[in-house]
Amino acid sequence: MNWIRRRFRPEQIREWVLILLLIVLILSFGMVIQDYYTGRTFNRISSSIAIIAVMAVGETLVFLTRNYDLSVGSITGFTAYFVGMQLTRNANIPPLAVVLLAIGIGALMGSVNGLLVAYGRIPAVIVTLGTLALYRTMLVEYSGAKTILTSDMPKWMQDLSSTTLFSIGQVDLRLIVAIALAVVVLFQLVLTYLPYGRRLYAIGSNPDAARVAGFPAQRIVFLAFVLSGALSGLAGFMFLGRFGTITVVAAQGSEMQAIAAVVVGGVSTSGGSGTAIGAFLGAALIGLLEQSLRRIPAISEFWRDALLGMLILLAVATDLVIMKRLREFWARGELRVESSGPEGSGMEQPTQEAPHPATGGK
Amino acid sequence: MKTPILETRHISKRFDMTQALDDVSLALYPGEIHALVGENGAGKSTLIKIMTGVHRPDQGEILLDGKPITIHNSQEAQAYGIAAIYQEPMIFPDLNVAENIFISHRSRGPVVRWGKMYRDAEAILAKLDVRLDARMPARSLTLAAQQAVEIARAISLDVRVLIMDEPTSSLSAHEVTQLFRLVRSLRNQGVAILFIGHRLEEVLEIADRVTVLRDGKWISSTPRSQVTPEQVIRDMVGRQVEEFFAKSTAQRGELLMSVRNLGKENVFQGISFDIYRGEVLGFAGLIGARRTDVALALFGIEPADTGEIILEGKSRQIRSPEQALQLGIAYVTEDRRNLGLIMPMTIAANISLPTLPRYLSRLGLIRQGREQADAEEYRHRLDIRAPSVRVELEKLSGGNQQKVVLSKWLNANPRLLILDEPTRGIDVRTKAEVHHMINDLAAQGLGILLISSDLPEVLAMSDRILVMREGKQMGLFNRAEATQETIMTAAMGHYNSTHTWNDRGEARP
Amino acid sequence: MFQRFLTALWERLKSWEGLLLILLLAIIFVNSRLTPAYLTFENQVNLFELYIEKIIVALIMAFVIINGEIDLSVASVMGLAAGTMAILFEHGAPAPLALLSGLAAGVICGLFNGFWIAYVGLPSLVVTLAGLIGYRGLVYVLVRDRSITAFPDWLNRLGQQPLIGPFTLAMLIFFALAIIAVIILQYSGFGRYVYVIGNSKEVARYSGVQVHRVKMALFVTSGTIAALAGMLYASRLGAMRGSTAEGFELEIITMVLLGGVSIFGGKGSIWGVLLSILIILNLHNGMGLAGLSGHLRAGVIGILLILSVLVPNLAGKVRESLGRQRRLQRAVETVEIEA
Repeated sequence: MNWIRRRFRPEQIREWVLILLLIVLILSFGMVIQDYYTGRTFNRISSSIAIIAVMAVGETLVFLTRNYDLSVGSITGFTAYFVGMQLTRNANIPPLAVVLLAIGIGALMGSVNGLLVAYGRIPAVIVTLGTLALYRTMLVEYSGAKTILTSDMPKWMQDLSSTTLFSIGQVDLRLIVAIALAVVVLFQLVLTYLPYGRRLYAIGSNPDAARVAGFPAQRIVFLAFVLSGALSGLAGFMFLGRFGTITVVAAQGSEMQAIAAVVVGGVSTSGGSGTAIGAFLGAALIGLLEQSLRRIPAISEFWRDALLGMLILLAVATDLVIMKRLREFWARGELRVESSGPEGSGMEQPTQEAPHPATGGK
Repeated sequence: MKTPILETRHISKRFDMTQALDDVSLALYPGEIHALVGENGAGKSTLIKIMTGVHRPDQGEILLDGKPITIHNSQEAQAYGIAAIYQEPMIFPDLNVAENIFISHRSRGPVVRWGKMYRDAEAILAKLDVRLDARMPARSLTLAAQQAVEIARAISLDVRVLIMDEPTSSLSAHEVTQLFRLVRSLRNQGVAILFIGHRLEEVLEIADRVTVLRDGKWISSTPRSQVTPEQVIRDMVGRQVEEFFAKSTAQRGELLMSVRNLGKENVFQGISFDIYRGEVLGFAGLIGARRTDVALALFGIEPADTGEIILEGKSRQIRSPEQALQLGIAYVTEDRRNLGLIMPMTIAANISLPTLPRYLSRLGLIRQGREQADAEEYRHRLDIRAPSVRVELEKLSGGNQQKVVLSKWLNANPRLLILDEPTRGIDVRTKAEVHHMINDLAAQGLGILLISSDLPEVLAMSDRILVMREGKQMGLFNRAEATQETIMTAAMGHYNSTHTWNDRGEARP
Repeated sequence: MFQRFLTALWERLKSWEGLLLILLLAIIFVNSRLTPAYLTFENQVNLFELYIEKIIVALIMAFVIINGEIDLSVASVMGLAAGTMAILFEHGAPAPLALLSGLAAGVICGLFNGFWIAYVGLPSLVVTLAGLIGYRGLVYVLVRDRSITAFPDWLNRLGQQPLIGPFTLAMLIFFALAIIAVIILQYSGFGRYVYVIGNSKEVARYSGVQVHRVKMALFVTSGTIAALAGMLYASRLGAMRGSTAEGFELEIITMVLLGGVSIFGGKGSIWGVLLSILIILNLHNGMGLAGLSGHLRAGVIGILLILSVLVPNLAGKVRESLGRQRRLQRAVETVEIEA
C-alpha cells in the first residue's frame, strides 16, 4: 500500500479513472449503436478529438499557471480563415510554410494575451474575455463576411483530413490525429522534463513563493500564453483541413470544449497540477461523447452544450470532494521519525492529525 | 576577528512619514547565530527587506566580505548567498520535496533528471540529519517539515547568510528543538544566521549574539554570555517595565457554561470544564495542543462531533458563529490581519460587523449615527489612537488594530469571551493595557477563556488553568497549585519528579 | 461643515468616478460634433432603449463582482428565460404562466449556480462558465434552430412602445432597480455584507456573517434579473431564437469593471457603474454614427474591458513613482504607520 503511495500521486489515479471511463463508454455505446466498432467510427471520432486535443494542451499550459485562456476559439477561427485566405490567393505555398504561418499567427495573438496578463497584471479572465471578442471582430473585419470554400483550397489541403499515415485494416492513423498525438507527447515531455515546464507548475502552485525564489514569473506566464496561441493556431490549420468551408463563426465556442476537456482531464482550476495526457484524455472523453451521442437519434444534437456544461461542473465538483479525501488519505502516516545518533533529529508528524488550515496545528 | 560576511553600515530608510531605520549598523559573522530583537515597528522587517533586496536603503551601505555592494532585487540577493525564511513557508505544495529544493536552480542542465534530483535531495537532507521522503508532495508535510525543506533549499544554493524571520511562531516545542538543532548544524558549517524572534527564552537559547533595535535605531549588540533578559527588555522598551499586570482576584459568579467530553475526530477529544462568570480560565499548552480548535468548536466555525456544551442548563448545538453569538459566545482570533478585521473599512464599520442587525432600521438600512456613537464609546473606553472612528483600519498600528478587534467583540455583549493569543506580536505597552482590560471585563462579570502560549502570561492572568496536549486535556489547575513546573509537566504529558523542565521541554536534572 | 463637503467632493472627483465623468463629457462632446441632433432628449432616450436589458443586468452584476464572485451565465439565462416564455406562448399558454415560467427559469438557474458556489464551495468562475455553456445548450434544446415570433401583441407593445411618457417598461424597471440598487448597496446592511464578504470571506465568516446566505441570495437575484431582462429583450425584438442574448456577458461585465468595481471584490459603487453605463451607451452611439459594424463595436468593447483594468494598474504604478505627492497627502490622514 505504501509503495503505491510513494510511487503515484492522487492525480495519476484520476487519469486511470478516465481511461476506465473511456472503456466503459465505448463498451456502452457499442451495445446501443449499430456498426460502432468499425474503422469508420474510429477515424471520425479520432479526427474530431484531434483538434480539441491540440487546443486543450495549450489551454493546460495556461491553466497550470493559475490563468485561463478564453480566446483560443477566436484564435483558432482567425488563423483558420487567415491561412485559408492565403491559400486561396496563392495555391503554391508549401504546406510546411502554411503550418508555420498558422502557428506564427496564433503565437502572435497569444502574445497579446500574455503581455496583458503577465506584464499588465490584468486577470486572465478579463483579458481573454476581451480578446475573445476582439479577435472574433478581427476575423469578421478581415473576412468581410465572405466565406472560404473548400473548392478554393489546393488539393493537399482538401485531402488533409483524410491523409493517412498508415492503416491497419479499416482503422487509419490519420495525419491530423498523428499531429495531435505528437503534440500531446511533446508537451507531456516538456512538462515533465524541461525546467520551463516544471516552473509552470511552480508558478501555479504558489505564485508568491515563485516570485521569492527568483523565477522570471512574468516571462514564464507570457510564454505560456504564446504557446497556447501557437497551438490554437495549429488547431486552426487542422480546422481548415477538416472543415474546408470557413465562415466568420468558425470555431466559435470551441474554447468551451477545450476548457471542458482540460477540466475533465484533471487539470486543476487553481493551477499547479494537471498533465498534457490528462487534457488529452479529457478531450477524448468529450469527443467520444459528442460523436457517439450523435449516432443515437433519440438525443438531439442540441443537447451537446447542455451536456458539456454539466460535465465541467461534475468534473470540478468531484475534484473538490474526492481529491480532497484522496489527498488526506495520502498524507496520513507518511512521515516517519528517524533518529540518527544521540542527538536524533527529523520532523515528526503526529499520525492522527490532518493539518488544520486556520490554526496551523495550534 | 574574521571579516563579517554581510554587514550593514549606517543604514537609514524612510517610508512616507516614518523613519523605519535610522543609522543602523549590523555585522553578520560566519559561524555565528545573531539574534535581532525589537518590538513591532522597531525596524526588523525593514532591515531584512533591505538585506534581501526588496528595498534599497536611503543612506548607508551594505558590505559583502568587506566590499560594498548594491542589492537590486531578490535574485541578486540569492546570488550573493543571502537567503531568507519566513513564518509562511515559501514552498510549492504541488511539487515534491526534491523539486522544492532544486526548483530555483538555474544550472542543473536543460533536462530534468529525476533520479539524480532525488539522490541529490536525499544527500542534502542527510547532511542536515533530516529524514524526509524526497518524492513526497510538499503539500502533505507539516509546517516544520516545510521549513526544513526551505532550509535544505538554501543549503543547496550555498547559502552564506540565512535570515530567519520568526520561524518558530507556529511550531510545537518538539519541532522547535529540531529546528534549533538544524540551525546549530548550519552554524557549525560556517553559515551566518540572522534570527528574529519574539520569544525571549527562545532567542536567548539559540543566539550567540543579541542585537536590539528600537524605533528604527540600533540600541545594543551584546554577546550572549554577557546578556541578561532584563537588559534586553529594557533595551527594547526603553524603560523598566513590569511585563505583566498583577491580577486582582475577581469575584466568581454563577456557572456560565459547562463543556462535557467535547471531541472532534482526529483533532481533539475528551475536553471537559466549567467556566463561571467573572472567571478567567486560561488554556495553556504547547503549540500543537489544539486549543484553538476547541475554541473554534465553541464558536461554531468548526463544530465538534461529540460531547456536550451546556449553557443555562440546556445542552446546545453550536454549528455556526451566528448561533454562538446568539448564545453570547464571542471569539477573538489571533490572526487579526486575515481573520479579524477588514482593513480598508472604517473603525466603526468593523466594530459593528458582528452585530450589524442591531443597527438596521426596519427597512434594513444602516443607522450610521448610532453605529458611530457606539464606536466612539469604544474608542474612548479602550483608548484607540485615531482621530475619529471614520478612519480606515489600515492606517492604525498593530496594537490599535487589536483594540478594534476587541471592541468589535465587546460590542456583541458576550457572556463568554474567548481570547486567542490576544497579546501576540503586540508591543509591551499595549500588552499591559490588554491585561488591564481582561481584568476589568472579568470584574464586570464576563467569563473569559484565555488561550495563550505565553506561560508567564497565563499564570499571571488566570483563575484556573486548563492544560492541553495534542488534543487531549491533561489537567485543570487552580491558581494556587499552578506553577510553571506543574503546567509544563502537564503540557508535556509526563510526570517526572527528578527533572525540571524548561519552557522548551528539555529536561535538566 | 461645508468645507468637509467640498473636500469629500474633491476626493470623489479625483477618484475613478471623476475620471469617468471627464471621459463621459469628452465622448458627449465629440458625438455632438458629429451630429447636431445628438443632445436631444429623444436621442438620449433612444440610446437607453437599445441597450436597456444589458444595463439592467449590469446592476446586479455589480453586486456579484463586489462580492468577489462573477456570473458568466447571465446571458445564457437571459436566453433561457426568453426561450421558456416564447415556447409557452407558442403553445398558447396563458400569459401569467408564460411570464412566471420565464422568471422561474432564472430563479432555478440562480439556485443551481448558488448551490454549487455558496454551499459546495466551487469557484464561481467555473460554475458560471459551465452554466454559460449548459444553459445556452438548454436554450437550443428548447428552440432548436427556429425563430419564434408567436408573441402576443400586448407583449410586443410593452416591449417596444413607451409606457409612461417617452419611457418604455424596461426603462422604468431600470430606473426603479437603479434606485433600489444604490440604496441597498450603499446604505443597507445587506450591502455592507456584500462589501465585507468581497473583501474577505474569512473575516466575514469569523464575524458571524452568514456568507452562504448572502451569496445564494446574490446568485438567485442575478438569475432572476437576468431572466427578467431576457424576457424584456425578447419582447422588444418581438422574436427569439437560440442565439438570443449570446455574448452579452462581455458588455455587461465591461460596464461594471469600467465603473470602478474591482474584479477582486470589495471595492466599487453603483454610481461608478451608472457613469460607465452612460459612457458605453454614448460610445455605442458615436460608433454607430461613425458607421462601425456590430462586430467592430464588440471589438471596441473588448478593448475597453481590458483597458478598464489595465489603466488602474498602470496608474497605480505611476502613482508609486510619483510617491512624493502622496506622501504629503498621507501625512494629513495618517495616524500611525507600522514600519
